Amino acid sequence: MSLPKRIIKETERLVADPAPGITAAPHEDNLRYFDVTIQGPDGSPFANGVFHLELFLPEEYPMSPPKVRFLTKIYHPNIDKLGRICLDILKDKWSPALQIRTVLLSIQALLSAPNPDDPLATDVAKHYKENEKDAQRVSREWTEKYAMA
Amino acid sequence: MDILPLEEETRASSVTSISSDSIPSSSPPPPPGEDDRPPNKKRRLSPPPTRAPAAAASSSSADPPFESAYIGSFLVGNAWSTVRGKGYVKSGDEIRVERDDMEEKSTFVKPSGSTKSTGKGKGTSANGKDKRKKQMSLTTMLKPQPAKAAKKKVNDVVRLTNKSGFEFGRLPQEVASWVSKLLEMGIIDFKGSTMIDCPTTLHSGADLIVSLSVYIRASAFKPRAASSEEPTKVIFNEGQETLDEQILRERKSSLLRLFDMVGLKPVRGSVSRPGKDLDSRLSDDDIRNLAQRPEKSKSTVKAEVGGDGEEVEAEAEGEGEELSENQLNLIYKKAQENDRKMEEMEPADTFSLTLRGYQKQALAWMHSLEMGTISARESKSMDPLWSEYAFPGEPKDGVIDLTADERPFYFSPFSGELSLEFPTTERKCRGGILALVGMGKTIMLSALIQTNREPDLTEPERRVQEDLPNKRRQLRLDAAFRTVSRQVAKAAAPPKSTLIVAPTSLISQWSDELGRSSKPGTLRVLVWHGQNRLDLEAALEGKDATDVVVTSYGVLASEHAKGEKSSSPLFEIEWLRVILDEAHHCKSRQSKSARAVCALRARRRWAVTGTPIVNKLEDLYSLLKFLGFTPWSTYSFFRSFITLPFLDCDPKAIEIVQVILESVLLRREKNFLDTDGKRIVELPEKEVDVELLEFSPLERKIYDSIYNDAKRNFEQLSAKGLVSRNYTHILAMLMRLRRAVLHPGLVLSTQRNETPAGDGSVDVNALIQQFSETNEMDNSSEFVESVLTNLGDSNSECPICFDVMDAPMIIPRCLHQCCKDCIVAFLANCAENGSEGRCPTCSQGPVSESELLEVVPSRADPESSQQSSAPQVTLRRNDFRSSTKLEALLQHLRRLRDQDPCFRAVVFSQFTSFLDLIEVVLQREQLMWFRFDGSMNVKKRSEAVTEFKAPSRKPKVLIVSLKAGGVGLNLTTANHVFMMDCWWNAAIENQAIDRVHRIGQEKTVYVKHFIVENTIEGRILQIQKRKTAIVKEAFRGKSGADSESVENLKIMFGDD
Repeated sequence: MSLPKRIIKETERLVADPAPGITAAPHEDNLRYFDVTIQGPDGSPFANGVFHLELFLPEEYPMSPPKVRFLTKIYHPNIDKLGRICLDILKDKWSPALQIRTVLLSIQALLSAPNPDDPLATDVAKHYKENEKDAQRVSREWTEKYAMA
Repeated sequence: MDILPLEEETRASSVTSISSDSIPSSSPPPPPGEDDRPPNKKRRLSPPPTRAPAAAASSSSADPPFESAYIGSFLVGNAWSTVRGKGYVKSGDEIRVERDDMEEKSTFVKPSGSTKSTGKGKGTSANGKDKRKKQMSLTTMLKPQPAKAAKKKVNDVVRLTNKSGFEFGRLPQEVASWVSKLLEMGIIDFKGSTMIDCPTTLHSGADLIVSLSVYIRASAFKPRAASSEEPTKVIFNEGQETLDEQILRERKSSLLRLFDMVGLKPVRGSVSRPGKDLDSRLSDDDIRNLAQRPEKSKSTVKAEVGGDGEEVEAEAEGEGEELSENQLNLIYKKAQENDRKMEEMEPADTFSLTLRGYQKQALAWMHSLEMGTISARESKSMDPLWSEYAFPGEPKDGVIDLTADERPFYFSPFSGELSLEFPTTERKCRGGILALVGMGKTIMLSALIQTNREPDLTEPERRVQEDLPNKRRQLRLDAAFRTVSRQVAKAAAPPKSTLIVAPTSLISQWSDELGRSSKPGTLRVLVWHGQNRLDLEAALEGKDATDVVVTSYGVLASEHAKGEKSSSPLFEIEWLRVILDEAHHCKSRQSKSARAVCALRARRRWAVTGTPIVNKLEDLYSLLKFLGFTPWSTYSFFRSFITLPFLDCDPKAIEIVQVILESVLLRREKNFLDTDGKRIVELPEKEVDVELLEFSPLERKIYDSIYNDAKRNFEQLSAKGLVSRNYTHILAMLMRLRRAVLHPGLVLSTQRNETPAGDGSVDVNALIQQFSETNEMDNSSEFVESVLTNLGDSNSECPICFDVMDAPMIIPRCLHQCCKDCIVAFLANCAENGSEGRCPTCSQGPVSESELLEVVPSRADPESSQQSSAPQVTLRRNDFRSSTKLEALLQHLRRLRDQDPCFRAVVFSQFTSFLDLIEVVLQREQLMWFRFDGSMNVKKRSEAVTEFKAPSRKPKVLIVSLKAGGVGLNLTTANHVFMMDCWWNAAIENQAIDRVHRIGQEKTVYVKHFIVENTIEGRILQIQKRKTAIVKEAFRGKSGADSESVENLKIMFGDD
C-alpha cells in the first residue's frame, strides 16, 4: 500500500519546518505511525514538561481524523488516564483541510486552556471546577513526576 | 445457359426450334422415317447417327479438322445374343454397333412436356419421367417391335451386327442406356470394334464379349446454341430446368460414363488442374479449410434492442453460410495474381490531381473493361466449368503411336458441352467490382469518369439517330404525360452521364472530391438528394448538362418504390455509367436497394466496396447481378454452381468464384506491393493502445449491481433452458451493461435529467457581488480580490491532498478552493456520515456538490485577453457528473492540447446517448467539437465534416457514431482516434480507425481504446479474440441463438 502524496508532504514539512515546541517523526516500519512530543506551554501547569504522544493516520485519512493519544501520564480534564483526548477536531469537527501540524498545535493549545465543561476525565474536571488552584498544583506535580526526564 | 461465346450463325438452335414447334405430349409422335421430319430438323447439330460420319460435318463453318477421333475402347463382357445358330459371328470378327432406328431418337428429343427443377422439386422430376415413359410406350405401340423389347426400355436398344448388317446381339442394358443416347446425339461412333469371345453356336441370351472402340464425332464439338429468350425465362421461374438443360444433362451424364469406361481423365480443369501455377492452386489444406465452414444458421432478424430507440447492432443476416478470413483470402488470391504486372494509364487532361502508380493501373483496368477490350489482366484462366482432355493415341494394328501429338479437347462436366477451342472465361458486362479500402477510390473513379467521357454508340443508336423524325412522332403518342421534346432528346442522344449511388453519409464527400479532382468547370456534379431533387432530365440535357449525378441508396429505393405507380427519372434515364459506392449495402438480393440498383439502366456498371463478400459467397451474387455478369447473374445458376457446391464442401465452388473474380474484380489493400516490391501505399505508422481504466467506487457499485442482476437473470433462464427464447431480453441486458460501463447516467434514468443545458459557465463578477452581499466582514472585499487574482494560478495547493489543485473548485459561499476529486470525495464522506456538506477549510455549510464552481482557465485567443482586464478564468457550475471514461478522454484531450494546440481528434462511440455526454464534456472543456451521427441529415453531416476539416489554429474534436461514420468518411486531417467502447467485431472498429489511417494521412496515427477493467468490455475483447475476425455478428437474431451465441453469452456471464 503506497502512501498518499499528502502524508508524504505533511511528513516532509513537519521535519523541515517543525512547529515550536512540537516534534513528530514517523516510524520507519510504518510511515503512518508517528512519535510525537509536545512541550508544555509556558504559563501553564504543564510548562517545562515534555509529553510523549502517539499519532496514527488511518486508511481514510485525510477524510477521517488521525488517532492521537498521550503516552505520558497527564493530569488534565480533557485527557483520560489512558491518554485519550477529548478534542472536537479529532471527532465530528474534523476536516480534511486540517493536518497533523494543526492537530498537534490544537492539542498544545488544549494544554494551555483546559476545558472542564466538556470533560473526559470527570474526576479531574470536577477537581478543576471546584478548586482550580489545587488542581493546577496536582497537574504541575504530575508534570514534574512524569514529563521531565 | 450461354456459357460459350455464341456465334451468330450457330445461334439457330435445332433443339430449341424443335421444342418451339414441338408436338404436344398428347399428340402422337411423328411416324418413322427421315422423310417425314420437318425441314428445320436438318439443322440439327447432331446429324442422324444412321448416316455415314462424313455427312456429319457438313453445315458448320468452323469444321474441326477431323471427322471423328478415337477416344478409347472398352470391353463389354455381358453382351448377349439374340439369335440361335452358327456362322453369324465368331471371335475376332469385326462387328458394328448400331442404334435401333430413328424412332427412338425423335422420341428422345421431343419435349417431355415437363420441366425439372434442379435442386428442390424432386416430385416434378419424377412426374417428368412418368410422362416420358408413357410417351415411349405409345411410340412403341406404333412400331413393329417384338413385344419382348417393349417390356424393356425400348429406346435403349443398341444392336450388334456383323459385317453384312445382320443383328446377332445387343449390348446389355446398363451399357446401352448411355451408349444409345450418345449415338442418338451423334456424339460417338464405333469403328473397328471386335468380337473377343463368343460361343461358336449362338443361342438366345448367350454371353458375348465384345471390345468397342469409341470415336468421338466432329459434330459433337460444334458449340451448342442457346435460345436467346432463356435468361428472361429464368427470371420468372428461377430454379427451373428447361428442356434444353435436360438434354444437356443427359448428354453430360452419358459422356461422363463414357469417359469413365474408356478411362479418359481430364488433363486439367474442373476436376484437377495440374498445369496451373502452384501458388494459385488450392492446396489440400486449403480445401480442408474451406470445407470447415461454420454451421449455417438461417435467420434474418433485425433486432432492435435497447428500448430507448437508439441505434443498435444486431444486423440482419441471411443464411449464414459464413466465410472466414482465410477463406476470403483464398478466394481473392487468384483475382490478384497478375495485378502487379498491369499496365498504367494516364487520366484525362481535366483531371487535376496526380494519380499514384496503382491508381493508374486501376484506371487502365477500368478503362479496358469499359471499352470492352480484352481484360488488361492477361486472362489465361480456363473457364472453371471446363476440363481439358487429351485424345488418346489410336491403336493402329494394335500399336499405339506415342510420337503423335496429343491434341487436347475440352469438356464441361457441368453442361455436357464439348469443344476443341480453349474455353476462356467470358464476360459481357462492362464494368466490374472495385474492392478498395482507403485507397482513394473516389479519386480513381473520378479519373475514370473524366477519362472515359465519350458515350459509346451502339448500332441501334446510330439507327435511332437516322430515324429520328419517325421516332418523334411515335414517341409523342405514348409519352403524353411527359415533356415530349425531352423524351426525344433522350432517345436520340446516347447516354453520357454517370450516376453515383452512395450511402447518405458519403454523398457530400463524393461531390467534394469530384470537384477537387477536376479542373474548374470541367466536371458538372449534381447532388440529387433530399429537398433539392431538381428536374433530372432537364439537368442532363443541353450544353451544360450535368456529368455526374450523386444520390443515395435511400432515394434510389424510394424512387424505385414510387416507380410502380409513376416512373421515376432515375430509372427512365439510361446512364452511361452507374457507380455503386459501398456496394455491400445491397448485398442481400431481396433488399429494396438491391432490387432498385438492378433496375437502373446503364451501359457500364461499377460496384465499389471494401468487402465484396461480407461473410458468405452469396453476397457476391447481388453484385454480379447488378453488373449483369452472365451467366452468374442468374440466381439459379449462381446457386447451383456456387452456393450449393460450396455447401457440399466442394472446393470447385471456390475455384469458380476465383475465376469469376479474376475477370471482374480489382482488389487492393494498403499493404499490397507494387511492381518494385514497395507497398503501393505508404501509410504512416498506427499506434493502437488499449488503456485499461478503473471504475470509481461509486461507478463500480452501480455497475456491479446491474451486472449481478443480469447474471442472476441469465442463470435462471439458462437453468430453465430458456436462453434462446429470451434472446432479445438478454441482448437488452447486455446493452445496459455496456452502457453502464460508459456512464452510469446512461442506465440510471434518474440521473439523466441532470444533464445541464449550456456549458454551465458563471460570471465571475456576479459571484463577487453575491459574496459581498452575503458576507458582512470588513475585509471581505480584500479577500475576494486575493482569491480572484489567484484564481487560475496553477500553483495553489489543495487543502485536502496538498497537491497542486487539479481542476480547482470554488465553494461559492466562502470562496475556498479544493481539487475537484478531493472536495467531491469529502462531500460524499460527509453525506455518508449523515452530516451536512461543508467547506473543509472553514467548515461553512451547507455545501452541495452541484453548487460548487469549477475554475476553468480561459483558452481564449491571447490577443483578446490582453485587451480586456477580464479574469482569465471562467467558473462553471459543477452540475455535471462525469464518468471514468469521460475523464480519461478529457485527460487525454487536455494533454494533447498542451502538446499540440491545434490537434485534431476523432472520437467514436456506438451510443448516440453517450455522444451527447461527450458533447457536454467537450463543451465544458471549451473544446471546439463537431458531431456526426445517423440522426443528422446530409447537409448537417457534411457541414460538420467540412468545418472539422477547415484549417484553424484551435484544437478540434469530431465525435462520430460508429454506425454512421464507420465507413467511407475521409478524416485524414485528424491523427488521434479515441474508441470509447468496443464492438463485437474488431473489423468494424478497424474500419472506423481507417477513416483516419488511410491514404492522405501524413502523421502517425494514435489510437486510444478505453476499456474499463473487470467489466463486460473485457469479455467482449475475449470474444473478439476467440473467433479472430470471423465474428461478423457474434450475436445473431433471436431465433438464431445457436450454440455459438449461447457460448458467447456464457463468456459474458461466466466467472473469470
